[in-house]
Amino acid sequence: MNNSKQLKMTVYTSLFVAFIAIGAFIAIPIGPVPIVLQNMFVLLAAIILGPLWGLACVGIYLLIGLAGLPVFAGGTSGIGKLFGPTGGYLLGYLPCVFVTAGISKALGKKLSTDIIAMVIGSLIVYGAGVPWLKVVTSMTFEKAVAVGMYPFLIGDALKIIAAAFIAKTLRPVINL
Amino acid sequence: MASLTPFSFRAGKSALHLLDVRCKFFIICLISMTMLKASLPAGFLYFLILMFLFKKAGLNIFSTLNSIKYFIVLLFFVFAARAFSMKGDMLFSFYGMSITKQGVNEGLLVAFKFFLVMLTGIIFSATTKPSCVKSAVQWFFKPVPFVPEKRLAIMISLSIGFMPVIALQARLISDAGKARCADLEKNPVKKIIHLVLPLLKKTFLSADNLVLAMESRCYSDDRTDPEFTPSGKEILFLAAGFVIALSFIYF
Repeated sequence: MNNSKQLKMTVYTSLFVAFIAIGAFIAIPIGPVPIVLQNMFVLLAAIILGPLWGLACVGIYLLIGLAGLPVFAGGTSGIGKLFGPTGGYLLGYLPCVFVTAGISKALGKKLSTDIIAMVIGSLIVYGAGVPWLKVVTSMTFEKAVAVGMYPFLIGDALKIIAAAFIAKTLRPVINL
Repeated sequence: MASLTPFSFRAGKSALHLLDVRCKFFIICLISMTMLKASLPAGFLYFLILMFLFKKAGLNIFSTLNSIKYFIVLLFFVFAARAFSMKGDMLFSFYGMSITKQGVNEGLLVAFKFFLVMLTGIIFSATTKPSCVKSAVQWFFKPVPFVPEKRLAIMISLSIGFMPVIALQARLISDAGKARCADLEKNPVKKIIHLVLPLLKKTFLSADNLVLAMESRCYSDDRTDPEFTPSGKEILFLAAGFVIALSFIYF
């Protein structure tokens, strides 16, 4: 990778770190409960930046949160958040971004394949988050799924569809 | 414009503004790690200290609270979830769900701790320049093998710099949409796309300009290491940080 391309990726990755952090603050009113866009930006980072830069992006986001800046959902931060009930979702972003980017790249970065990649990525986040939630809160697995997964599925489906269209429009603009 | 988001740096000459950023980083990590163990009295004492620091740093607590009002609503949900889900002595029943005394206590404590972590992060962002954060990250990661500390530092610094810009752009785009009756749009996917796509396009164009600016100034990772200028109050703040952390653990 030449210096110019590397610099561009450095800036774009930083931009996506900021988007993921700000995603918790951007709420779109859909129905009685607004949805926040944080996980959508994680998925977009994966399919736009690719596996390695995407992984770096989520890693830096977690690092900033661990260092104490209020970038995790709810404006929180700190290592305590990582070991709290939602820590599994946060750590799940790392394999999610890598796998989503890998699948998207392997299948040719099309609208339909991006959707498949993002669905798998979202399942990875739940795969890490729900068992973690179960262990930390001592809930039954059924209850952990009921409070930590089912309520978010519709919102996630909407975000994945939107993200696929956004990625399709954005790719020619940023020319990566 | 910078005062529009809780992430923004606000210039000042308070002790917190002048404190060595490495010291601030260390204290904030220490406090956020030990906050999990904090009791209500220790948390309240820390809240009073934070209020004092807010005042000394020239930050308006009311405008800060206003800028994080959505999170305060979220904290209420955190409190309600604990109050309803925890078993214990029932206080009263509400549509078949019971609120317990233990649940209320636990909910209050957890929401209060989240609130304190949030305020700590805000006071750190408000009194620390992104360039100083970059220097501190670079310093902390220098001994870590296989980590390009200079690039990591610049990425963190850029990210922190981008946050208020994105928040402001999102607000402007949202307001522009409202002025064009975007609220009446029923399709949720279109709602998301109409906000996010212009936001991404605008910020990526700004990022392209930034890349050009950095290239034209011959930016490279091989740069002079940053210099730190301690204010002389670091020992005092570190001692205070340790006392607060110990009070969280033992009281």
